[in-house]
This record gives sequence, structure tokens and C-alpha cells, in this order.
Amino acid sequence: MSGRPLLEVENLRTTFRTDAGELVAVDGVGFTVEKGETVCIVGESGSGKTVATESVTRLVDTPPGTIKGTARLNGRDLLSMSDDELRSVRGNNIAHIFQNPQEAMNHCFSVGWQIVEALQAHQDVPDDEARARAVELLDRVGIANASARFDDYPHEFSGGQKQRVMIAMALVGNPDLLIADEPTTALDVTVQAQILRLLDDLQEEYGMGILLVTHDLGVVAEVADRIVVMYAGKVMERGGVFDIFERPAHPYTQALMRCLPNKGEETDGIPGRLPDPTDLPDGCRFAPRCEHAVGECEIGDQPEMVELTRDHEVSCVYYQQGYDSAVVRDESLEAEGSAGDAGVSDD
Amino acid sequence: MGLGRYITARVAWAAAVAFIIVSLTFLLLALSPNPQVQQAATQAALQGDNPQEAREQARQLRGLDKPIHVRYIDYVVGIFTLNWGWSTMRSQPVTEAILSSLYYTAQYSIPWTILTVTIGPIVGLYSSANKYSWRDHAATGFAFFGFSIPNFFFGIILLLVFGIWLEWVPVIYNTNVAVFSLENARQLILPVFVLVTGSIGGIMRVSRNESSEYMNADFVKTARAKGVSPLRAYALHILRPTMVPLSTTMVGQLLLLFAGSSLLVEVVFSIPGLGRVLFESVIAQDTSLVLGTTLVFVFVGVIGNLLQDITYTVLDPRIGYEDR
Repeated sequence: MSGRPLLEVENLRTTFRTDAGELVAVDGVGFTVEKGETVCIVGESGSGKTVATESVTRLVDTPPGTIKGTARLNGRDLLSMSDDELRSVRGNNIAHIFQNPQEAMNHCFSVGWQIVEALQAHQDVPDDEARARAVELLDRVGIANASARFDDYPHEFSGGQKQRVMIAMALVGNPDLLIADEPTTALDVTVQAQILRLLDDLQEEYGMGILLVTHDLGVVAEVADRIVVMYAGKVMERGGVFDIFERPAHPYTQALMRCLPNKGEETDGIPGRLPDPTDLPDGCRFAPRCEHAVGECEIGDQPEMVELTRDHEVSCVYYQQGYDSAVVRDESLEAEGSAGDAGVSDD
Repeated sequence: MGLGRYITARVAWAAAVAFIIVSLTFLLLALSPNPQVQQAATQAALQGDNPQEAREQARQLRGLDKPIHVRYIDYVVGIFTLNWGWSTMRSQPVTEAILSSLYYTAQYSIPWTILTVTIGPIVGLYSSANKYSWRDHAATGFAFFGFSIPNFFFGIILLLVFGIWLEWVPVIYNTNVAVFSLENARQLILPVFVLVTGSIGGIMRVSRNESSEYMNADFVKTARAKGVSPLRAYALHILRPTMVPLSTTMVGQLLLLFAGSSLLVEVVFSIPGLGRVLFESVIAQDTSLVLGTTLVFVFVGVIGNLLQDITYTVLDPRIGYEDR
């Protein structure tokens, strides 16, 4: 793809003021999303994935949060624009859907009203026309009998249907980018697959970029074009879906891969726990849990990103000059077939 | 069952409650000795007549000799045809006495109710949006002060300071001024202030705490992510769900204050309103008037609860009205 990317995040740093001191949730994260592609941010709970995506549109409350860095959408920096400008981007150019559809809609208003509200926040559309648009969108996302259900309240919908309504709400502005924060985590497995398929169809139809946050590698394998692996607020590895699944370079990525049910024998997780975000370790954030860690890993900053192949970068000292990357390579992971069937259940 | 039918059912239930209360008051009245009959007998005895005869005569005069079910039917018909009896204290029909006192009660009750209902939730919302700021602390301090200080005492202090020392407001209530006049505003400002202070505290606190719960709710984040303005997010997405539990507190507080504190405030500020009429009729043993004023408070209570039930269902669509 030529020209600049749809979304270009650089050096994003989000901190929170707390009683225990400054909490660093996101620390110098960078990634890009091209038009029409799906980028997945993966990492275990607490690694800063959600805060990173919510910082892009400044949904993080400031104060207590502080957001630094740049996040350019089609070249315009979202982090330095005024609140009013940003408001015209939210829901219009960038739409969000969230993890828990049960709580994501206001229980006091009908779903139709909430879709119309999103539409009328950006477009001067008369009520009857807005209603027609909302019904059309509800129909598009697969709500049966959409015009009758327009006036129903969120509690009258199932979890999967609510997520569909949320997606309809996200589509009102014909967004360039959809930020989906664990959109299927709260849903049961059969519904998850349906929602993912719907997102996939809509992406093609609307040509949107999707930034998907998830800790479910099965989902990632199914939908991702590119992957950003985050740990403790830092990017550990970035690359195409095949690179990450077939040649995971960072020990943390490898550990995640080993957690997949049909990869290797170890399925009882990664030993140790995330570092305290108010007191982060020196050097590589993952070093305290890394089986390969050497003295060099625990001093200075997170290692510089090293480009392995085109578009595949890793932040690990073993890939820097003077180290033998073969030490951290995990042959057992690489030996196993293609990304396509890595951890994906057939549904 | 639709909302319309639910409301009809609620109204019918409220009417039934009112009817039960009317019946109970009749029973209490029938069981209590009638002071006028008592008086007639005493007078007869003093004059050397037969007190028993005088008693019978007095009972006959007031229709008390009729069988109890006939009296009950007469009484109930009287209540619903607004024939509430004769006030001996005021020498006028009870309904007339009530209407004329209600006129004065309404003059201060309507302003304080409106002020409390509009300012309370908004200040609470503001407090929760600016939690732990000095404004929030100031509002909390004011809320607890108003909640704690007895209304009648606060009224006396204010009257002392602003009426007697500073002479900004009249001490004696003047019934001859026009309703919408500066004079009337000046003499009503203190009772209105006292009652707002007394009622707004609880509402501010409940509003603050309930809206805090929604301040960080996911649906508020959704609203922001949709590009909704902060003001709209507060006014619609936070205030609306806050109003559901708040409406309960509100009706309870207002009724309590209307029935209880307004009496004391009327006595302190010498306003010849409903509360004072009730108070004076009790002292004067004017049974019909006591009953009449009590019924007004009862009806206000019943209607208040009815409104609360209805607003509750209208505000929160999740509250079902089936099988009730």
C-alpha cells in the first residue's frame, strides 16, 4: 500500500496518577493500521492493550490519565486536536465496540434511540430518516424483524444481539477505522464465530480498518492480517500473522503460543506474573519471567526493535548484534504447520 | 399488560388505599368521644337539667343516634361529595377552611418543591463529576448541615438574624399582600429557604452517590465514543438512570417534609396554612377539621406514591409491570 497508513500510532505513552505513584499503562507503543486491514493487539490481561486503544481516541479519562505521543488518522493527530474536533472523529471516522455488550448500552433508552443518537451526533438528519437508517443498519447486522425491534430496550436482547446492535451503532458514520476491544470475550463460542464473521463481512463491505484487541489467539489466527504483541505496556513483537504464528521470535510470544491448547504440552500458562505497573523493571519488561534472560536483559531500557524480515520486528536482545538468536528460537513451534490451523477450532 | 393498563391499575389501587384510610378514620372518629356532646351534657348538668337527656339531644342533633352503617355511608358519601362537615373553630364548612389554608400553604410549598427537585439532582451530579474537589466538599457540607439541623430551629435563627437584627424581612406574616408581589416574596423567602435546605441535602447525597456509579459506566464510555457531547452525556446518560432510585428518595423526602416540617415552619413563621390549621384544630378539639386536614395529607401521600410508582416504570424500562 502506498502513501501513509490509515492509523499511525507512535510513541504512545499513557500514565495514570494514583496514590501508589505514577502507573505506566502504555509505554512508548507504536503500530500502524492500513486501510481495510485487521490488526490485532494481543497480550495477557493487564498488558495495556485496552488502554492503548482507548488512548487513541482519548477515551481514557484525563485526569487521572495523561496521554503522550502521536496517533495520526489519515495524517491528522488525534492526540493534539481540540475536544470538539476529536468529538467529530469519534463515532464518525473511528468507531468503538467494547468487551461487554451487557453494559455497553444505556438501559434507560431503546436501542433504536441509541443508534439514532450516534447518527445525529454527526449528521443533521431528520428523525424519520434517522430511524430508517437505524432500522437498515439493524437489519444489516442481522437483527431479525429490525423495524419492530427498534423500540425495544437493551435488556430485551441477548448478549450476541446486543453486540450486533453495538456494531450497527458503530457503522452509522461509515467509519474508516473500527476499534474493537475484545468484542467476543463475553459471548459464548458459537456466537463469537458469528460476530467475527459479521465483522469480517462488514470490513469488506465498508473497507474499514479494524484494530482488534484480544487475548484469544484463536480469534487472532482467524481474522488478523498483522499482530502487535504487547506486554506490560510495551510492544514485544510486531509482524504479519504468518510471521508471528510460524516464527514467533520473542520468548513472550512463544510462551503465548505454547498456551494454545494444541501447541506443545505446556498448557498451564506462563509462570510468574505481570510486573507492578507502578514499579516496572529495568531492561526488558519480560525478563523476570523469561527463561533465556541474561544480565543484559535486566539493565537499561526495553531493547530496541530489531527488524527480522520486512514488517517483522522484535524487541529482544538475542536478535541484536553479538547475540545468538538460535538460543531463543523455539523449533517445536516453528515445526508445526501453518498459521491457518494454529489453535483455531473449526466452527 | 401495557403501560396504560398498569397506570389504570395503579390509580385504582391508590383509590382503594384512600378508601381504606377514609374508613379507618371514620372508625377512629366513631370510637372517640364527641367533645360537643360532652359539652352539652356538662352544660345541662351545670344548669340543673338532665345531662343524659341533653346528651341524647345533642347526639340526635348531629345524627349520632343513627345506626353505625348508616352513619358510615353518610360519612363516605360526604367525603367523596366534598361535604366534609362543619368546623366549629372557624365557623365555616371544613372544605372552605381547608381551601383557604391550602392557599397559603401552596404559596411557599410550590416554590420550595420546585427548587429542591430541580437544584438537588443537578448539584449532586455536579458533585459526582467533580468528586473530592473543594466544590464537592462544600456541597457535601451544606447537604449534611441542611439534613441535620431541625427546620423549626433553623427558621427561628434565620428569623432572629434577618427579621429582627437586620430587619431585611418582615417578622409577622401578612395575609393581605398579593401573591405575586415583592412583599410576598420577602416574607416567604425564609420559609422557602429553610424547607429547601432541609430537603435538598438527602437528594443531593443520593444523586451524587447514584450518579457516581454511572460516571464510569461502560455505556457512558459508549456515548463518548459515539461523539456525544459531555453535557449531553451527563444530562441524558448519567442523570436518567440516576433519577430511577432518586425519584423514590425524592417523593419520600418531599412528603415527609410536606406533612411534618411544614407544620412547624408554619407555626414559626405564623403562616395560616394547612399545617397550622391542623395544629390549631387539634388543640380546639374541632374533630371535623382535624379529620379534613388529615385527609388532605393522606391524599397528598397517596397521590405522591402513585406518581412515584409511575415515574419509576417510565424512567426504567427494565422494571416490569406484569403481574402487579
